[in-house]
This record gives sequence, C-alpha cells and structure tokens, in this order.
Amino acid sequence: MAANWYSNPAPVARRVRAYFAPVNRTAQAPAIFDPSEQSSFNLDSPPAPWLSLGWIEKFVRHAASKSVPIMTGIPAAPLEQVRESLAAQVSLQFLSWTKLTMALATGSQHMNLLAPAIGAAAAADGARAASAVTVQTGSTATFVALASTDASKFAPGSIVAIDIDYTGQTGYVGSPVSGAYLRQPLSDVDYIRRITYNVALVSQSSSAGLTLAEPLPGGAPVSGTRLQGVIGFVDREGGSFYQEWSGLFILQGGQGERVFFYYPRLQTMIGAQESSVPLSANSKSSVARILLQAQFMAMPVTDPLDGERVVCYRSFVPASNALV
Amino acid sequence: MQNAKDSFYVALRTRLIAINPQRTILLRGAVRPGIVVEDAEAPFSQLPDDVFILRWLGLGVDVDLDSTMAAEECDVIYQTCGTQSFGGLDRGRALSQMDEELMSIIQPFYTPKLNFISQPPATMLTQVFWDEPGFGPIAIQRDRLARTAKVLVYSYQEQGE
Repeated sequence: MAANWYSNPAPVARRVRAYFAPVNRTAQAPAIFDPSEQSSFNLDSPPAPWLSLGWIEKFVRHAASKSVPIMTGIPAAPLEQVRESLAAQVSLQFLSWTKLTMALATGSQHMNLLAPAIGAAAAADGARAASAVTVQTGSTATFVALASTDASKFAPGSIVAIDIDYTGQTGYVGSPVSGAYLRQPLSDVDYIRRITYNVALVSQSSSAGLTLAEPLPGGAPVSGTRLQGVIGFVDREGGSFYQEWSGLFILQGGQGERVFFYYPRLQTMIGAQESSVPLSANSKSSVARILLQAQFMAMPVTDPLDGERVVCYRSFVPASNALV
Repeated sequence: MQNAKDSFYVALRTRLIAINPQRTILLRGAVRPGIVVEDAEAPFSQLPDDVFILRWLGLGVDVDLDSTMAAEECDVIYQTCGTQSFGGLDRGRALSQMDEELMSIIQPFYTPKLNFISQPPATMLTQVFWDEPGFGPIAIQRDRLARTAKVLVYSYQEQGE
C-alpha cells in the first residue's frame, strides 16, 4: 500500500506578502487574525479588515526580548531564567508607492495634498483647499453619489478624498484609521480629509456620481461626508504622532504550507526614508527603483487566553499530507 | 523526476489552451496545443515556428533533506517568422506575444504533481514549483526570431518514485 504522507523539508518561499489593518487607537483594540479560521484565504483578497500591501522585500524580524538568569549558589549557577524585557522589531521594503505604503513607512501622520483653492497662499503641506462637495445618499464603497454639477468637476483619473468635516475634535481623529492626534482644536474644516485614508482613484464619472477604481478603506461614506480632489500625498520628518497598525506577514511554501507572522500592534519607529536599488545588477546604468523603507516596533498586547503579554504570534499551517 | 517534468508540461499546456487556444501544432497527424516536449517527439530537423518547445537540460539533487529535492533545468524555446499575411513584418510582434503568453502560463509558479502512468492521472502528495523564467536575448537567423527562457523546476521525490 502506497504511503499517503511525506516529509516536507523547510518551506521554500519566493517572497513575503504583507497585510495591514487599522488599530482602533481610542479603544486600543488591534485587528485580530485567527489562523485557525482564516489560514486558507486567497492571498489576493484578504479577509476584512486586512488590506493587502502586496509583495515586500527584505523582511527581517528581530526579537529584542532579553532573558536573564537568576543565579544562586557558590559558585553562582543559573537557577531559573526570567524575561527581563519584551521587545521586537520588523523591517521591510515596500515594492510600491501608495497612500498606505507611504503612510506605513513614515514616522508621523501622512496627509493628502488637497486640490488648492484658486489664489490660496502657498503652504508646505498643501494650500487652503478648494471647497468640498457634498456626498449624496445611495453611495457605496465603490460609488460616490454626487449632484451632477459636482460630479462634472471630477474626471476619470482624478484622486478624491472622502470624509466628514472637521468640527473641532481633539484626540485621535479619522475613522476607521486614526490619521492624527490633536492636542488642541484647529480651524481647518478640511483637516480630516487631509489625514483620511478614504482616498481612491476615480475610474468613471457620470451625472449620478463617481465610480471608484477600488473600494474605500472605510466602506460606504456615512451621512455628512464630503469629497475633495487630491493632488498627491505629503508627510513630514518630525511631529509627535506615531502610526499604529496591526500587521500580518505571510510566507507561502512551495508545497502550499503557510507561515503567518501576526503582530497585533506595530508602530513606525523611523522617519520617512527610501533606499535605491539598481534595476540591472549587471550594468552601470543609473536607473534605480526607489523603495520605501519601513521599520516597526512591536507593541505588547495581553493575550486573553492566559493573560500573558506578547508582541507577536507565529503560526504554521503544514502542507497537505506532510508529516508534522 | 519524470512525474515532475510531466506535471510541469501539462500545467503549461492546460494554461496555454485557456489563454490562446489558437496556438496549435499539427504533429503526427493530430492538431495539438502549441507546446511540446522535445525529448518526447521525433527529432526535429528544424524546430517548429510559433510553438513552445520544452528542452530538459541540467539536473541537481539535494539528498540531505527529509525528502530528496530535485532541481531540473528547462529551456523553453520559441521562434517565429511572423505571419504570411504581413510578409513577416510582424515577426517582432509575434515574438512579443509569445513572451507575454509564456509569462502568463508560467504563473502561478506551482502545480500539483501527477503520475501519468495511470489513467486518469493520479494526484500525488506534493507540488511541483519553479522560479521566475530567465529570458535570454533574441537570436536572429535571417527572418526568424528565436528566444530561450530558462526555468528551474523543483520537486520532492516521493516514495515509489
């Protein structure tokens, strides 16, 4: 009778996939990844609320926890070990420049450059913005209903930011992604749209509204939401805000086995910086790909299973028929 | 190792049928998908145009693992003179189309390993997987353009192989 099992050597993987999900900063609640229920998802369509950041390079995990022995006796010898500190870091390079990858790879808040009002005074993070237009009822995550006169202002290929007006809130602002922390009220009514992650490309424009090329991260716009054009993005070196996200990294082996690295809380720990990779290793061409460099500090959570404080979970789902 | 080679070929053939069923070859009186294994056909005096030829070359094994791993080097050779209707002036475009088709059928970079000795083929326990293709430069022979792409195909030996 033929064996129906085999010994699978160490996983052979091509690259690492990265997924991030917003942490509810106000409630201090990270996104949960449950490998017992979600381990077999299609890598191109992760389960909500996880957002795919595509393939990454130079993924390095660094466990910085320290254990020290309790010495006893003469001469002293280890009696027990205790964990003196709990820390871990993750570094990686993103292979694309998007709103999300830029935001994750910067140490401070990441802002949208709103389309400026005519004649507005220049400002380093974007001039006073052109007036926002009101989103109508009937909108979804991929379609924004607008009055026909408003819709005509946004051609296919435009980028738009969709969120509520700023009305003097303080603390963490932005939902579901906290994009900034305000100690005192500001006067900019567009501030939330400056820091919102509800940003998308317009694929079609009609008299009824705008069809978006990809769903809004925050889902269907809520009542009172308004829309503005976006020229690009800006972040700053400095400031006091730290991005915090839940991170999930997946290695898929040649036999279909999967290794999951789930970090409930990751905070960016370096400022915005890039690395340059020549496109051709064999020539002296100056053409190079500019990659976003990211480094995160893993923050602890308390595991409700047993009350232990941890910073990362590593899960392994073996290949079918492989010995375990 | 033959099962891995067979599985790789059939995976590429199935994917080619899906993306371009018009790419065919008349071989031994039968119209077949336009991808053949060179060592499983009568020797060609001249490689046929507008089809993919799989030529198996190098072999490496790692016997120190729990399951022996085999790495088999496969050249995917293809060439074209363009079409008669354009007098061959579209040969560059025809080769580009074959480049794109190869990029499409090579993904995803794995397929289940099958044993084709039995009918229907029996699904084995492991998967065959491979690396990204390394495309060589275009070779020009008068009005014929040819290219070779190298692919390393990996597999684990199972009991009974």
